[in-house]
Amino acid sequence: MKGKRNVLLALSAAASLLFLTACGNQAASGGDSAGSSGSGQAREVAIGWSGPQSGGQALYGKNTLNGLQMAIDDMNAAGGIKVGSDTVKLKLEALDDKYLPNETATNARRLRSENKATIIFTPHSGGVFALQTFNVQEKFLIAAYTSEPKVTEANNPLTVRIPPSYDNYPKTFSEEMMNRFGKKAALVPGTHQYAKDWSALFKQTWTGLGGEIVAENPVDYNKESDFAPAVTKALAAKPDVLFVGGASQPTALVIKAARDQGFSGGFIVMDQAKLEEMEPILKDPKLLEGFIGVNPASLYPTEGTKKFVERYKKKFGADKVPTSEVAYHYMAMHVFAKAMELAGTTDDAAAIRAKIAEACKQLSDDDIPSLAKGITEDGALIVVPRATTMKEGKYVQIPLPVKQ
Amino acid sequence: MKKNPVHNRVSKLAVPVLTLIAAAIPLLTSNTYYLDIFIKVFIWTIAVSGMNIIAGYTGQLSLAHAGFFGIGAYALGLLMTKAEMPFLPSLAIAVVLTGLVGSVVGVISLRLKGHYFAIFSLCVGVIILLIIEKWESLTEGVRGLLGIPIPKIGSLEFATISAQYYLILFFLILTLLVNRRVIHSLVGRTFLSIRNSEELAEALGINVMQSKILAFVYSTVLAGLAGALYAGYIRFLGPDIANVEHTFDMLLYLLVGGISTLWGPLVGTALVTVLMQWLQSWQEYRMIIFGPILVILVMFLPYGIIGAFVRRKMKRQWEQEMQENSIERPGMRDQRLAGGELDA
Amino acid sequence: MEVELFFQQIVNGLVLGSVYSLVALGITLIYGIMQLPNFAHGHLYMLGAYLTLFMMTMYGFHYWPAILVSVAVLVLIGMLLERLVFRPLHNAPHINSMIAAVGVMLFIEALARKMWGSDYHRLDSPYEDAISLFGLTITQQRLIIIIAAIVLMIGLNLFLKRTVIGSTIEAMAQNREGAFLVGINANKVSLLTFGIASGLAAAAASLAAPINLVYPSMGAMVNLKAFVIIVLGGMGSIPGAVLGGYILGLAESISGTYINSEYKDLAAFVILVLILTLKPTGLFAKEAR
Repeated sequence: MKGKRNVLLALSAAASLLFLTACGNQAASGGDSAGSSGSGQAREVAIGWSGPQSGGQALYGKNTLNGLQMAIDDMNAAGGIKVGSDTVKLKLEALDDKYLPNETATNARRLRSENKATIIFTPHSGGVFALQTFNVQEKFLIAAYTSEPKVTEANNPLTVRIPPSYDNYPKTFSEEMMNRFGKKAALVPGTHQYAKDWSALFKQTWTGLGGEIVAENPVDYNKESDFAPAVTKALAAKPDVLFVGGASQPTALVIKAARDQGFSGGFIVMDQAKLEEMEPILKDPKLLEGFIGVNPASLYPTEGTKKFVERYKKKFGADKVPTSEVAYHYMAMHVFAKAMELAGTTDDAAAIRAKIAEACKQLSDDDIPSLAKGITEDGALIVVPRATTMKEGKYVQIPLPVKQ
Repeated sequence: MKKNPVHNRVSKLAVPVLTLIAAAIPLLTSNTYYLDIFIKVFIWTIAVSGMNIIAGYTGQLSLAHAGFFGIGAYALGLLMTKAEMPFLPSLAIAVVLTGLVGSVVGVISLRLKGHYFAIFSLCVGVIILLIIEKWESLTEGVRGLLGIPIPKIGSLEFATISAQYYLILFFLILTLLVNRRVIHSLVGRTFLSIRNSEELAEALGINVMQSKILAFVYSTVLAGLAGALYAGYIRFLGPDIANVEHTFDMLLYLLVGGISTLWGPLVGTALVTVLMQWLQSWQEYRMIIFGPILVILVMFLPYGIIGAFVRRKMKRQWEQEMQENSIERPGMRDQRLAGGELDA
Repeated sequence: MEVELFFQQIVNGLVLGSVYSLVALGITLIYGIMQLPNFAHGHLYMLGAYLTLFMMTMYGFHYWPAILVSVAVLVLIGMLLERLVFRPLHNAPHINSMIAAVGVMLFIEALARKMWGSDYHRLDSPYEDAISLFGLTITQQRLIIIIAAIVLMIGLNLFLKRTVIGSTIEAMAQNREGAFLVGINANKVSLLTFGIASGLAAAAASLAAPINLVYPSMGAMVNLKAFVIIVLGGMGSIPGAVLGGYILGLAESISGTYINSEYKDLAAFVILVLILTLKPTGLFAKEAR
């Protein structure tokens, strides 16, 4: 009699789960008809995003969302896009995965089942890997915002990698710095995987050009609070150039610590650290004399970038500058939308993927910031940023070689 | 305590009936999102039931649980990718390995009492996380372990999500059945006696240290099993799965459902997981809501949902007995409620 | 040059140790009085830093007044937490108050993110410049941290030993039943202790923030290390917390330089495991547990 109550509770819990499932099934099957193209209908198509909205990476996640939302708003305000004979408006569906790959997987399934999203953005490599185990089966495109090379090495036909790979930077950076400051380099990079890979490539390049690595002292940029000890150790070897990099704000602190300790040489900075985010932390721009890194996306020399930056400032405040993840997501969204138009479908992931190269060609540098030139065989968008270095108080842009 | 024949019969039916319902679910829906949620609930329930054994029944709060989950997961992952071993042997080894590590940690840490043990276990969890992160040549470190192959048993490949669902459901039911046997056995009652008073248990002739270690090892075995199943399902691992945050999540599930009850882990995990999914649209407010809920729960409903039911049932039962026997025994009531035979 | 490097690291170790000690002191005080490991302490630390930051940026306060405000507010918050959350749970199983602490921690972090965003902020202090001391380059702020920490610790010690209120705290920590017998009000003592501990955390954070950054998860690692310290030093032991804090700070700084900086974090926990294996009650345990 009383024991029954507990069992009844458990049974009713299971029954309600069952009920939900049945309902959900109805809703899912009910939604199927929306995918097919009617004649001249107006419809709404979901664009999925799963990334960090809480935790340490939340700001980064927010930036990527801003870029996507701006692009979607622009396109919807212009009347939507034309797919087949339908007018399609886009809707961004964003879910928090707390930077955890298993949550990314759950979110992607939800975005696919509940929102019928065919394109799902995710800005961390762990999320991409988790999704690559089932995206072909579930037929959706992964818009991967990560420079992790394994993402494209996976031979996944429905993955599109957005940001440029970093292996284009070390040679130009090294040559410039060696000419200006000297041949001795010390490394104080982060301990995360990206930093390790970058450091390995840098060391190879530097020594290949005739330089010498005098010290290597990685430090955890995320957990560390005081960089002075690590910097002290590196500076003890009297380097001409310091190689640093991790998230923007800790990188700025490393640079500051080095200057505080009297270092007057050059800094080679990984692309993960954004110049526009470091400057406010450092306050005194003179500290960046001798810096070389990737040119801020907002300074990319095209009409489209200028317009984009203006619109961003209007929307978010005159003192805000869009970082590269904002610009690249904006650009990628436009490319995907164009690809959907060219492919005549919003559901067929493979067809959309096939039209990306053409989409890049049909869009113009006058409208779109940092526009990609095409897409490689293994799914990487061809994006070519520039390098920037501070010489005698002024920023000078240096072109980077175009790959492939 | 009088045995209630109806109660026993119904609770014996509970497992088969729920199993039937659970088995029917993939036949009723092909919504992979829902199936994914169920699978995750099953996996975490296995882990949480392990925490229930050590924290709920034996009264030792181990905060290293996520670490052992990680050991199980990485063991399976590494065996299947680097050693190219098939699923079942990898699973078995992963579980045994986790148990072995658990026994070593248990022997060292269970000499500590109460808060010391909690903090020490917290640090052990962090150490495990750091080892997984830093031992790159073995675990691939922060980049993560990719490409864990789809589990196969003989010629049965668990490629679809429904297949994975059944595989994991099987292990969940197995775990629940074993847990039920353990809880109702002498071993289970020994655990309870240790939770109520270690000195008293010692005085009764129970080898407290041995029992604590047994409970701890068993809990790590369950955590390892859950981790290994997770690895076979998500097929990609990062060190973050051993993060202490997961331990806190599991604690939340356990508390909501009902600590030291058999069904508590399942109810708590299912409820909180579903709730978290519903609250997705309130991203930023999620922990602003859940933090205080945890606090309120612990203040007003410390035995969780199942626990509250059980206690009410026991109170009624006791009152009924009192009426029947009309004997005034003031001390007995609190004794029973405090931790006699809590099961559901 | 080698010697200079060594002394530089000693100074860095002392700076780290000062911050760790202040946080550990707070945790150990709370534990000594309430037998509660306060997992939310790192987030009280974080709140202290944010308050100082906003006093300075939004209301134009100077550094020291901003810290005072921050400390005062945190004292109040600490007392509020004690009264609302931990006092009702005092008689419940220990596990409940630990879980409540976890709940408070999750809540505070989410609240901070919602209110102030996840950005990293710079806290400027008027002591940015580097000075030369005995041939070492050290920023003024670092020197201030060491001095301020010592001042605070001496102040705390005097308070506990010389004032009446302070001695009630000592009494309760040493012998709970005895304290009751002489009529000490446990509730008042707990309230005060939580307040003081939170205030210390706010001070530590505000001192440390200029050399780090202010962001919502800034307290997490400091908290974890502080727990390592108090277990090492003996939970509830004040000298243990202070000594443990400086030992850990120095060990981290030196091992970070001379061994591999990557394994620095691991070092702290491995030391903990070793010591607890050999001496399960910690180095300076007060209670005979």
